[in-house]
Amino acid sequence: MTEDNILVRVEHLKKYFPITRGIVFQRQIGAVKAVDDISFDIRRGETLGLVGESGCGKSTTGRTILQLYRPTAGAVYFEGQDLAKMKGEQLRRMRRKMQMIFQDPYASLNPRMTVGNIVGEPLEVHGVASGKERYERVQELLQLVGLNPYFINRYPHEFSGGQRQRIGVARALALNPSFIVCDEPISALDVSIQAQVVNLLEDLQAEFKLTYLFIAHDLSMVRHISDRVAVMYLGKIMELTSRDELYNNPLHPYTQALLSAVPIPDPVVEETRRRIILEGDVPSPANPPAGCNFCTRCPRILEICHDEEPEFKEVGPDHWVACHLIA
Amino acid sequence: MTRYIIRRILWFIPVLLAIVMATFVFVRAIPGGPFDFVGDKSLPPSVVANLKAKYHLNEPVWKQFARYLYDVVIKQDLGPSYRYRGRTVNEIIRDALPISTQLGLLSLLLGLAIGLPAGIIAALKQNTAIDYGSTFVAILGVSIPNIVLGPLLIWIFALKLNWFPVARWGAQAPFFLGFLPVPNLTFWKYAILPTITLGTGLSASIARLTRASLLQTIREDYIRTARAKGLAERVVIVRHALKNSMIPVVTILGPMFAMVVTGTFTTEQIFGIPGLGKHFVTSVGNRDYPVVVGTTLLYSVFLVIANLLVDITYAWLDPRIRYD
Repeated sequence: MTEDNILVRVEHLKKYFPITRGIVFQRQIGAVKAVDDISFDIRRGETLGLVGESGCGKSTTGRTILQLYRPTAGAVYFEGQDLAKMKGEQLRRMRRKMQMIFQDPYASLNPRMTVGNIVGEPLEVHGVASGKERYERVQELLQLVGLNPYFINRYPHEFSGGQRQRIGVARALALNPSFIVCDEPISALDVSIQAQVVNLLEDLQAEFKLTYLFIAHDLSMVRHISDRVAVMYLGKIMELTSRDELYNNPLHPYTQALLSAVPIPDPVVEETRRRIILEGDVPSPANPPAGCNFCTRCPRILEICHDEEPEFKEVGPDHWVACHLIA
Repeated sequence: MTRYIIRRILWFIPVLLAIVMATFVFVRAIPGGPFDFVGDKSLPPSVVANLKAKYHLNEPVWKQFARYLYDVVIKQDLGPSYRYRGRTVNEIIRDALPISTQLGLLSLLLGLAIGLPAGIIAALKQNTAIDYGSTFVAILGVSIPNIVLGPLLIWIFALKLNWFPVARWGAQAPFFLGFLPVPNLTFWKYAILPTITLGTGLSASIARLTRASLLQTIREDYIRTARAKGLAERVVIVRHALKNSMIPVVTILGPMFAMVVTGTFTTEQIFGIPGLGKHFVTSVGNRDYPVVVGTTLLYSVFLVIANLLVDITYAWLDPRIRYD
């Protein structure tokens, strides 16, 4: 794997949200460790799936990579430049190259702006196009995402959920970015619409050579769209490998439990599916367990798991796991 | 939109009719009457009976009401004052309303000029010293009644420092367009203290509401979208957050406007301003029926018009609100 192939390199990224107490003088009494020391690469043109249950830090990871949250520690190299060290104008200029598609197509579009303004605003502030040129570019983008260009003067509330998500996609594409974080872009949509939007994302990726970080909790959707998949649990990445390797040969007990929960659309196979049921709840990210984060629920726990945090290491070709079981 | 506005204006008729009818009936239901006393002396029963007959108060209420409606609608005549002999309600309003409106509008402008920026700054600097400071001042502004603030300002700036006159109002009829005074130095000298007295409370309410509403808006997802677009923070706030957060503020501006431009009792009393505010209060004590009903009707007209303007503004602030 050569360096040129890597578009985004995340190194020891941490995002802690402070917990404060006190009325006048606030003092920090702890931190929610939403993202706790994760490292991975995203390769040019690939789709990296990021899965995990609610509250495990998936969205925070995506937002922190794009610097919508400033990281507590660590680095995010985008085309070799550390975004975490940038600010102000320099960072705003980088936003042309990296965009985000948000989860909730209802809340993420400004209700008092027309579609033309929502999609066209980035063009204007980055000095790409204005006036008639901007108008035409917006129409072009709407057409690209399968919306009628005639809708340009309508407001978001006049559209259905799927259409609104297409507006969100058009907006993200406006500046020709090379990297898009898709933050559960289909979770808020009807199942019948989900496939349309996923297909749209795939078509656009092929056409514009886009790189995606695809955040989701729907394992079959991630399997469909991803080249590689990272599994997150309680702020940490537990396993990261190619899609086929992950689904055929999951090494981490958490990944195994997660995959065992997916129903199989074949009654014969489904009959023999053995679910690994995890006991207990996810610990609070404000107070994660010592040792391995998964040690409180792991079905195959070892002595060492309570004391020592497992290293996230490459155990096979391009197969990374953080688990003491895999030596 | 035009159809909506016309329909709303047509609705004014039953609303105002109901208000007038209720006021008309209720004020007559209060024990006592307008001619019980003149000064400290009570009038002989024969005189009272004559006066009542003169003003048709001996007739059944429905007949009085029909007569009143006829006068108001056909002749635009709100009737005579029972208390101020020889004065009509029309004259009282004509003389006092413009002055109240001048004070009210100035105070409202001051309230907006201080309240909006203070609320915005407090929200953007949430949980900092600036926020706590402006919230503290706003609570102070809401809590200190005009009856305390007015005399305090007079004592400091009129009596001790001699900067401004103690009382009265610095403009007289005729006014431009019926209510705009000549904005000369005399006018401002008299206007400043009462305007501050009345405007402080308004600015405090506006600031608190602006802060709360803007705080809610900047947590919205589309604000994050705006940041992700790479907009400068200033653009994010001005273009994406502010207009979306203005709906609650506009909502209170309607009733606030109707309240202050028709006169405020305390502020006008403290500064001896010949405005309309005192008539709302004293006319009830005097059982001056036509003044009670006339001032109530006037206030209601301002209120329904202000609320219509508020609703029209909604449609401009939020395209999801459409009227037809």
